[in-house]
Amino acid sequence: MKAVILAAGNAPNLSPFSDTRPIAMMRVAGQTLFDNSLHLLKQSGIHDIFVVVEHQKEKLISAIGERMDDGLSLHFVEQGRSRGIGRAVLGVKDKIQPGEYFLLVYGDTLTAENIFSKVQQSFHAFKGPVASICLPPSNQMFGNVFLNAQMKITRLIEKPKGDNLGNYVLSGVFILPASFFNLLEKNGANMEKALKEIVGEGMHASMWEDDWLDIVYPWQILEANKVLMDSWQTSRISKSATLEANLTIQGTVVVDDGAIIKAGAVLEGPCYIGKGTYVGNNSLVRSYSSLGNQCSVGYGVELKNCVVLDGARIGRLSFIGDSVLGEGVDIGAGTMTVNRSLEQKPVAVKIGKKALPTGLSKLGAFIGDGAVIGAGNTIQPGTVIPPGKTWSACYSITQR
Amino acid sequence: MCGISAVVGMKNISQALFEGIRNLEYRGYDSCGVALMNGRGLVIKKNIGGVEEFFRKEHVLEISSQVGIAHTRWATHGKVTRNNTHPFTSCDGKFAVVHNGIISNYRLLRNQLQKEGHVFESETDTEVIPHLLEKFHKETKSPEAALVKTLHLLEGSFALAFLCAHDPEQIYCAKRESPLMLGIGDEIKFIGSDFNAFIDYTKNAVIIDDGEYAVISRATYVVKNAITGEEIVKPITQLDWDSETSKKGGYPHYMLKEIYEQPQTVSNVLDLEEASLDELAEMIHESRHTHFTGVGSTYYVANFAKYVFAWLAREFIPATSSDEFVSLASVGPDNLVMAVSQSGETYDTLTALKFAKASKAKTAAVVNVMGSSMARLVDKVILQGSGPEICVISTKAVISQMMVMTLIALRLGLRKKVLKKKAFERHLADLGELPGIIQSILNERSGFIHRIAHRYAHIKHWLYLGRGMYYPVALESALKMKEVAYVHAEGMPGGFLKHGTLALIDENIYSIVFIPPREDQELYQATLHSVEEVRARSGFVLGIHFDERGKNKDLFSEELILPAVSPLVAPFIQLVIGQLFSYFTATTLKRNVDKPRSLAKSVTVG
Repeated sequence: MKAVILAAGNAPNLSPFSDTRPIAMMRVAGQTLFDNSLHLLKQSGIHDIFVVVEHQKEKLISAIGERMDDGLSLHFVEQGRSRGIGRAVLGVKDKIQPGEYFLLVYGDTLTAENIFSKVQQSFHAFKGPVASICLPPSNQMFGNVFLNAQMKITRLIEKPKGDNLGNYVLSGVFILPASFFNLLEKNGANMEKALKEIVGEGMHASMWEDDWLDIVYPWQILEANKVLMDSWQTSRISKSATLEANLTIQGTVVVDDGAIIKAGAVLEGPCYIGKGTYVGNNSLVRSYSSLGNQCSVGYGVELKNCVVLDGARIGRLSFIGDSVLGEGVDIGAGTMTVNRSLEQKPVAVKIGKKALPTGLSKLGAFIGDGAVIGAGNTIQPGTVIPPGKTWSACYSITQR
Repeated sequence: MCGISAVVGMKNISQALFEGIRNLEYRGYDSCGVALMNGRGLVIKKNIGGVEEFFRKEHVLEISSQVGIAHTRWATHGKVTRNNTHPFTSCDGKFAVVHNGIISNYRLLRNQLQKEGHVFESETDTEVIPHLLEKFHKETKSPEAALVKTLHLLEGSFALAFLCAHDPEQIYCAKRESPLMLGIGDEIKFIGSDFNAFIDYTKNAVIIDDGEYAVISRATYVVKNAITGEEIVKPITQLDWDSETSKKGGYPHYMLKEIYEQPQTVSNVLDLEEASLDELAEMIHESRHTHFTGVGSTYYVANFAKYVFAWLAREFIPATSSDEFVSLASVGPDNLVMAVSQSGETYDTLTALKFAKASKAKTAAVVNVMGSSMARLVDKVILQGSGPEICVISTKAVISQMMVMTLIALRLGLRKKVLKKKAFERHLADLGELPGIIQSILNERSGFIHRIAHRYAHIKHWLYLGRGMYYPVALESALKMKEVAYVHAEGMPGGFLKHGTLALIDENIYSIVFIPPREDQELYQATLHSVEEVRARSGFVLGIHFDERGKNKDLFSEELILPAVSPLVAPFIQLVIGQLFSYFTATTLKRNVDKPRSLAKSVTVG
């Protein structure tokens, strides 16, 4: 069976990180979301994959194009100037033969267990179109998939009004017939309408009960990191990593090639230290911290539940917690990401013009690629800093 | 509690035997074994572990054979070891036997056989059978005659099947008290503990009765009376359950599938023949005392019935757990004992009914499995028609049984004229809405229940509170939690709290309260009072209620809001929530949902 991964969207709600990359290229727990999907697809027996790209496509093509060695037939299809999921799906119309079924995957969803194997099993049982469904982790995401006892979907409400409907949602993985393209064309490339129409023709559900995440907002990057780290069974320390004396290592810890952990550091798993990354003396890397490749963490830094992308530098005696740092971010010495409000109220994050409640009582900052934060700053919980922005250092004593 | 399966056919039967025994795995699954006849004689394979694991490890499917027997064991006599796994063979290796049941006089038989030089390999009661067969075959030179002689000696309960190297193309089987049936295909014949052993291959079944034995070959079968030796012409029963409904059909677990089947199974009960329900209502009316009995979930059904009969028929009918029935109930000719059982094979409940029969009382039962021992034992049976229930945890069978009991209570109320025709019709109309309401609960509320179950899956102790009809609902919901999630949950009437348990309540005690609709004024107020008692001591309360959102906001730590329904329908809905709450807790904790540890589907041992 062929698979189609949708990775073209610009995901404005995931700013600042989606400003500079397709969200499938977000790297958590040492791998991109895209790597994770590819790995699971391959494991489920699928090797023929089309990826629909557009927004920041060069980043995806250059990163993935280099690794075409592992038995996958991977092709990129450009969506062009058209918008929407329906148009993205129509982009692969000529790749699927009439009568053929294909597996459709939304690139911004994440599971640690193999959802693709499960949906293929259901497809073999029902011998017809299948939509994977799951119960989402929070009330805000509830949709409504109505089922009968034979697992046939009887009705779809994608975004129910009011708060009295709370049920299964579409988990962004489908097995669809080539005739679905006709339904899309008939409905003006409206995915929702086309899905409703195929439900009318007969579509079964495949229930997914393991962890599942739809990454819509920046704080969900931290959840994605956690879902993947929780699935780790074993620790791994690369042969080429350098570990100095007096380290404390506990839990599941992955230290990648060429990483240097200086004396006195504490690694509390699960955590990930990327290739060539430097962790300074007496640093405390607490659970659910993911450090990308070629990062530098100065003396005495404390990290907790954070995703730090490649090439970021964190100056000495800083604290980074419940935060995401983009590629090449430079954090000056003694910087604090304050991660809770004085009243311990859930932190709100400003997305576009709206302040959205996250429901999280602890949340730090979201700092875009290449931003520079001068020494001595304390950053308010929930702050979003756009890519490339420079904040000067915060001095209490100056020359004047 | 074990499953036996046997196949004789034209072609290689190892796949059919595998599927048959795998479909019986719910009857027990601690060890498994097969005996196959091939060109060189009997091949025996056995080991501890589940069926799939055993077949894979022992490469059973690679053995080509046209005749075979298989067994999946649930240990009753002897530990779970390879040696104690069926089949068992005679000293000369010519007989291989699988057995379900208990041979009560096996020690005596074993001692005698040992004196005669027979060597035993296991601690089980079953092993006496192949040795007896060998002994009598030496005398009679006929496997059939040896079987008859053996049957005369055996005491206790059994369903057994054996292969004999002297007669390699036939399989012999016999039954007393444990279930057994034949599956009749064109060029293939089956033996099974129940129809799951062969329903993928044939829907034609012959039910073997107590004291009968049968010989099957690929072309034909014969059933005889074990005492007289006369041939018995048995009718072929057409099974109307297709194999697809026996399978998971895309659901992650049978439990969830069966929860989703509840709208249908409740409808099936609503379609039951009225005359049959009236007949039972009349039996209750005529008897001086009636007793309800059941065990486990069915005991809670009996308890629920107690409340419904009190309400709708103004009749107090005690409910007794069937394992305690014999010590408690004194019954006589003018009494009726009415049992509830999914499988119709429950040992404790059968014992209670046999006791009632011996005391000359009338007997009745609500049973799901047709042709089961109980269905055939009682004077009046109501088949609830819920279809096969595979998950060890009972869900759809329980709700259907509650429905059957409610319908009988309504009819008795009408018969006794304590219920006016108009009220009767109104209640019936309310119940008619139930399938649709359950369907909408499943389709519109699952996510809320999942979220709460997910959030509180780490809680180790729950208190389940309900008053009146909601007390059995609390008990049954708590039992679901215990059996599927291995989480301690205690069902209790709300009024009971202040008489002791209240001392336990602090912020670490988590309670679920089943709240009636507000129409049920007194019960509603009393239940809310219990909630306040818990909250006043900082206890956590998950309230499951029918009020509008925000109404009792400060009363509950968490709430699940259900659509407004009539008071007769409400407890059913509450139970569906209880089922789903345990299910999602169990999946969050990654439990073995369909086969919880230490449990078997139908408990056919005492």
